[in-house]
Amino acid sequence: MSVLSEEVPFAGDAIVRPPRDGFVRQVRSRLFATKGDTALTLVLAAVIVAFGTFALDWLVIGAAAPWGSAQDCAAARGACWPFVVEKHRLILFGTYPYEEQWRPFLASVLLVGGVGASMLPSFHNRRLLWLWGAASIGFYVLMAGGYLGLESVQPERWNGLPILLMLAIFGLVFAYPLGIGLALARHQSQLPAIRAFAVLYIEIVRGVPMIMVLFLGLFVLPLMMPEGVSLSPLLTTMIALVFFHSAYFAEAVRGGLQAVPDGQFEAANSQGLTYVQKVRLIVLPQALSKSMPEVMNTVLGAYKDTSLVVIIGIHDIMATAKMAFSDPGWQHYGLEAYLLVGVWYLITCWCLSSYSRWLERRTS
Amino acid sequence: MYSLRNLLVAGGLLALATTPAMAGGVMDGIRANDSIVCLVNPNSPGFSVPDSQGVFRGFNTDFCRMAAAAILGDAGKADIRGIGFSDSMKTIVAKGAHMSSRSITRTGTRDANPGMRFVVTTFFDGQGFMVPRALGVKSAKELDGATVCAEEGSTTLLNIADWFSDRDISYRVENIADKTARLQAFFSGKCDVMASDRTALNSDRFLASDPAAYVILPEVISNEPLTLLAQPDAALETALYWAFQVMLNADALGVNSGNIDEVMADLANQPKAVQRLFGTDSAAGEMATQIGLPADWSYKIIKQVGNYGEVYERNLGAESAYGLERAGTANALHVDGGLMYPQPIR
Repeated sequence: MSVLSEEVPFAGDAIVRPPRDGFVRQVRSRLFATKGDTALTLVLAAVIVAFGTFALDWLVIGAAAPWGSAQDCAAARGACWPFVVEKHRLILFGTYPYEEQWRPFLASVLLVGGVGASMLPSFHNRRLLWLWGAASIGFYVLMAGGYLGLESVQPERWNGLPILLMLAIFGLVFAYPLGIGLALARHQSQLPAIRAFAVLYIEIVRGVPMIMVLFLGLFVLPLMMPEGVSLSPLLTTMIALVFFHSAYFAEAVRGGLQAVPDGQFEAANSQGLTYVQKVRLIVLPQALSKSMPEVMNTVLGAYKDTSLVVIIGIHDIMATAKMAFSDPGWQHYGLEAYLLVGVWYLITCWCLSSYSRWLERRTS
Repeated sequence: MYSLRNLLVAGGLLALATTPAMAGGVMDGIRANDSIVCLVNPNSPGFSVPDSQGVFRGFNTDFCRMAAAAILGDAGKADIRGIGFSDSMKTIVAKGAHMSSRSITRTGTRDANPGMRFVVTTFFDGQGFMVPRALGVKSAKELDGATVCAEEGSTTLLNIADWFSDRDISYRVENIADKTARLQAFFSGKCDVMASDRTALNSDRFLASDPAAYVILPEVISNEPLTLLAQPDAALETALYWAFQVMLNADALGVNSGNIDEVMADLANQPKAVQRLFGTDSAAGEMATQIGLPADWSYKIIKQVGNYGEVYERNLGAESAYGLERAGTANALHVDGGLMYPQPIR
């Protein structure tokens, strides 16, 4: 025993590791081990260098500096950053009255802040309802005006970023509870008619393209309204998005529901809990945390799909980017405009997916 | 249930954002609101495009400003809103806007709608063809077997079908809905011909890396009188029609926004036609009292917006990025062989 205990190294500071290779050896064994490896490495390196130099030249070296003018852009061989400086307000807020553009800015901050707060675990309770109730009212008052001495602004002038955020965030916020309801309706057997309705609804919505749902919202929904009621295209589009996304949420949540063991349902029943108590206290907390990856997947997809509303004439940030390079004198800089929109989507989607990874680590 | 309540609250709030119907005499409504709602295309280079401050600029928007200058005495009081094509007509019929200056072609069936009135044609356009200069084509009749890029679902395609089948010319259509993608296809040689309204072709040409490498063929295969649209209201229609005639008359008489103050300072020594056009105790002044316009409405239009020629050159012609020639087209004054015929104000 004593011999053995002397030979075993003390745990913590002297764990025996295989000898480390030097840098050169590592490179050789990983990148140039065989002829095939060597060829692949060289080809890839050439591609990276070629693309990297091109990107560097276009983005920085050959580009017109942001403080330059349109003339500098015409002379430059790379990107035109003065275009972005000149047009950033138009791309963000479109034709919203210029002096009032602090309002869509605040409204966007409100929505982004609302999403940020909703991500905090301390908000995962009834406070969320108050938060989004207040955010809805705040967003509407800021954008439309007519209250608190704010000048009234017509919905035709609501463009750009706040429209993207409004459609994406409110669309998802309202679709999620609806999706949970649909999932619960589908995942039960006592009420077959309700179940059949849920199945039919989910399968029909998932079976048609989003563009079709958007056109239905724009053209068919107003026809179903009583005489004299006219809905703004923004509202009908949002309703269409809520109905569309709810079907996808329903399937994501149903996956979570199926993962809750039958014993949980039986235990709840044997305690004499009512259906509402059973679902609220026992089933949903487990199902929702299990369905989190799939729900986040739906959220990301739905958020990016929101840019499709440009097809039905809603001026989200894609449409305002197009407006920016329709201005005579700035017509050649479509790439810069689209790049800006792409960077916005990349940053926001990256934040969302980092959050979902963090949430999964936390709940597992 | 909470979700339902939230949905209802937000729905109710947003429903308030719908366009309210405007009641009473249209002109009374305009004066009461101190603004005239005018619909334009949200993205039509040269005709209406928002500038960096989000303010719409262009040929069409200047007629919104003309209306505001004539009726309210201030061109800045035009409430210019960007809206889709079919929505613009629906909005006028639903009385959600007073007028539209949106490159809408006046057609018989559209004019038959009692909910809207075509007032006056501000621009005579027509559909044409653009080809690469290298193709060496001089006339659309030589386009046998060509591939034509055109917008999906537009009257453009119908006009092409009519024109080519009347002449037994075979062609192939490349349907591309998105304008940027369509232009890309044309510039990269995927199609031989680009078909659209000639004004659109002319501005699209400048998106090519070498605009001089493309030519617009002489054939005009359709009539597109682009016309102002208004709510049916006798006073509003009269005001818009004659405001436009003021711009044409000023063009013919050589009075523009630059020299109008000199003209007004020395009105008594001006030609009789100029005196009738701008004097407050003249024909223009008499019209103002009858329709209910500011007494100096004709002066305000020219001072704040300019005459027709100025508006054309500033937005589409020599002073703009497009360099669209006016002389020799239907948009020249009738004395120069065009269709713009100033009606007498007296």
